[in-house]
Amino acid sequence: MTDAPILELRNVSKEYHGEPAVRDVDFALAAKEIHSLLGENGAGKSTLTKMIAGVVQPSKGEILLDGQPISFASPAEALKRGIAMVFQETSLVPSLTVAQNIYLGEEKLYNRLRGLYIAAQQFLQSLNFPVDPTADVSSLGAAQKQMVEIARAVHHKARIIIFDEPTATLTPEEKSYFFALVERLRRDGVSIIFISHALEEALAISDRITVLRDGQKILTEAASNLDRDKIITSMVGRTLSNELYKRDGKRVPRPYGRKVLSVQNLSMGKMVRNTSFSIYAGQITGIFGLIGSGRTETAKIIAGVLKRNLFYGGEISKEGERIRFRIPRQAMKKGIVYVTEDRKLEGFFETMTIAENIQVHGLAKSPPEEVIVHRSRFRKLADEWRKRLNIRAIGSNARINELSGGNQQKVVIAKGLVQTPDIVILDEPTRGVDVGAIAEIHQLIGSLADQGLAVILISSYLPEILNTSDRILVCRQGRIVEEFDADAVTEEMIMYAAVH
Amino acid sequence: MIPWLRRQLDNFIGSGDAALAVPPMDGSLKPNRMLDSCDLALEVPAPDDLCLAGDRLVVSSGSDLHDVALADGAPRSQLRSRYESGIAAIAARGASLAVALSNGSIVIEGGPFGGRTYGLPLDGRPPCLTAIAFLDDDRLLVCVGSARYPLEEWQSDLLTRGNSGSVWKLDLGTGEAGRLADGLGFPYGIARTADGQGVLVSESWKHRLLRLRPGSSAAPEVVLDDLPAYPARLHGDGADGFWLALFAPRNQLVEFVIREREYRDRMMAALPRDQWIAPTVRSRGSFLEPLQGGGVRQMGMLKPWAPTRSYGLVIRLDGALVPRLSMHSRADGKRHGTTSCVPLDGRLVVASKGAGELLFCNVGSR
Repeated sequence: MTDAPILELRNVSKEYHGEPAVRDVDFALAAKEIHSLLGENGAGKSTLTKMIAGVVQPSKGEILLDGQPISFASPAEALKRGIAMVFQETSLVPSLTVAQNIYLGEEKLYNRLRGLYIAAQQFLQSLNFPVDPTADVSSLGAAQKQMVEIARAVHHKARIIIFDEPTATLTPEEKSYFFALVERLRRDGVSIIFISHALEEALAISDRITVLRDGQKILTEAASNLDRDKIITSMVGRTLSNELYKRDGKRVPRPYGRKVLSVQNLSMGKMVRNTSFSIYAGQITGIFGLIGSGRTETAKIIAGVLKRNLFYGGEISKEGERIRFRIPRQAMKKGIVYVTEDRKLEGFFETMTIAENIQVHGLAKSPPEEVIVHRSRFRKLADEWRKRLNIRAIGSNARINELSGGNQQKVVIAKGLVQTPDIVILDEPTRGVDVGAIAEIHQLIGSLADQGLAVILISSYLPEILNTSDRILVCRQGRIVEEFDADAVTEEMIMYAAVH
Repeated sequence: MIPWLRRQLDNFIGSGDAALAVPPMDGSLKPNRMLDSCDLALEVPAPDDLCLAGDRLVVSSGSDLHDVALADGAPRSQLRSRYESGIAAIAARGASLAVALSNGSIVIEGGPFGGRTYGLPLDGRPPCLTAIAFLDDDRLLVCVGSARYPLEEWQSDLLTRGNSGSVWKLDLGTGEAGRLADGLGFPYGIARTADGQGVLVSESWKHRLLRLRPGSSAAPEVVLDDLPAYPARLHGDGADGFWLALFAPRNQLVEFVIREREYRDRMMAALPRDQWIAPTVRSRGSFLEPLQGGGVRQMGMLKPWAPTRSYGLVIRLDGALVPRLSMHSRADGKRHGTTSCVPLDGRLVVASKGAGELLFCNVGSR
């Protein structure tokens, strides 16, 4: 790392509808530096980096690249100047192949697909990414999409790469690959801005850390001078320390209620193989598994998003009644709601307002009695849920794409709960969500179980599974392989079951 | 017509009753070794049913009735009576002890009806009494497992999807019997509910518990279903809950054999009964025996999760009939074929028919 900044932001501000998202922020990135940006959801991290990457323009202040003021009209322009951004939710084209996505925008007049695939294969291998270049992006899992996104940035020979929550979807093994890649990029002269909610990761790989809160810069310090407590205090303005995932004393799991869901010998292709488990009312059942273990697919079959094998696909019964759904709406009517892990793609209509999103989902359960429903009705319902889930937005008419990740997630959860379900499946509900919002979401999940709902929590983050669940199921290679009581299990036991 | 079409479709695609799906043992039914770690109280040849008569525990074993004295030190057994026919079930109330025999008769020992013998109007069908319980001082509830097979041939009834079982009410004063329910899949346990208003019946082949209301004509109500094993006798736990014994596990292979009619009929016709692919109460340890421990042996060790046709399982149900505790003897255990259990002084007495043992399990704090 050298001291001269290659990128500098001076007194930069950005407002949306008169509401400041970033206020008078100074930021500097040195050559070959890994600089982490930390803060709660809505702190302004994404807005700040979007200004750097040319996605949005600052309302005030200036951006300097190599000492020269710059203003990008589009991300493509920023990419030409060597600034690439790997987004939190991938921005790949799902209908194209991996290779086509990597080389998107560089197409020649005549393109030979075979040559493209060979080049992409070599390139991906050099990054140690096990992704098939001929596969459609729509068929990839979240982690593999992330790899393609990273590969695309590296391919464009960016001098500055901005990673927005790059590790949220990665398994521990994939994370170690990723960090090795980041180190290699740095050695090759690339500067990196790293946004993450995993504070340990930021502390481990960063040279410097900048903390934002409510759109303002709180501190910039060398990572070696900081620790988790200091960062959290700066982020939230209060000392949360390890409260979120602290395991003090013996946890008392909620007792088993009546069995509300029985999954027996469920099978779907190679992803779900003869899996069986039960779900009980008034309890949080955590399902842990590495990416590709079939946990999301199992949940989606239950919720009618995917279909089990037609022949000998097993049985699912809800309170004694056999169920088999063709579409999710049928599941919602039966009181089963699935809150997706991929909120951007499957969770909401991002250009619609909070009120419209919540109302649309409410329609799935029961159509309105009137032919014409007044917008004030939408807003009233949305206001109720905003208050209940503490969704921070200008109003219920705010569009989803103007909200921070945590608040978007709360809208997705509100959309599920508005249907008054009795089984709620939450798939990675705190992925890409800040510490403060995580605590709120966990509290909400707990209150759902206390109200007697059966809650299924799918997560790849062990401390979350351990501290939130009353019982833990471990999924491996398409089936549930182990069950633990939350008060008698350690991270090691869960991980052992997940990989052996 | 529609149900028939539904069945054909289910058979074709493997759904519904033909799904070959078995509920998992998880949650409060998660497997453990608690039955194997219970104290051995007595070795009794094939103990079957249990009941408490005063301060004495009564155990049926073949055609013998034993009294087990618990007063001081180690339990001691004493032959109480011997019958010419096998004993199918027993029940006690006050000084009365009712004994149901495999020949279909019911004998009362002691109490106001002592010495009398009763029978049910079964119209010449094979007697298959499986469980009895006193409804009050004068009336007895009787479960008849099957109208097609005698008790010893219970595997035949299961494999042929038997649903000819019935529950009867027998007036001990007049000897009159009335049917409370029929068309049941092998009712194998019966007990009064704590409020005295209803009767719980375990329906083995349908893996569920039913509630009957003896005073009304209401249809039986399913109160607990989807059990992972075949339920047998149940007894009150002294409060408003119950202890339920389950005598053999369900597994996909047996479900498959039940579904494959032609194969099943040929197997039943051609093979000795103990080599059938069917549940059993004990392992014989013979290499001819199908799938007992299957191929899941490593270094000569039988794994606890190996496929098995016999198992030991006892479940405690709370007042809402939600399972709260379970005690297991798995594939590598031997206390299989648990057909009955009764609570006694903070302990649970379990009859393991497969192991030929009477067990004392400490469950006071659970």
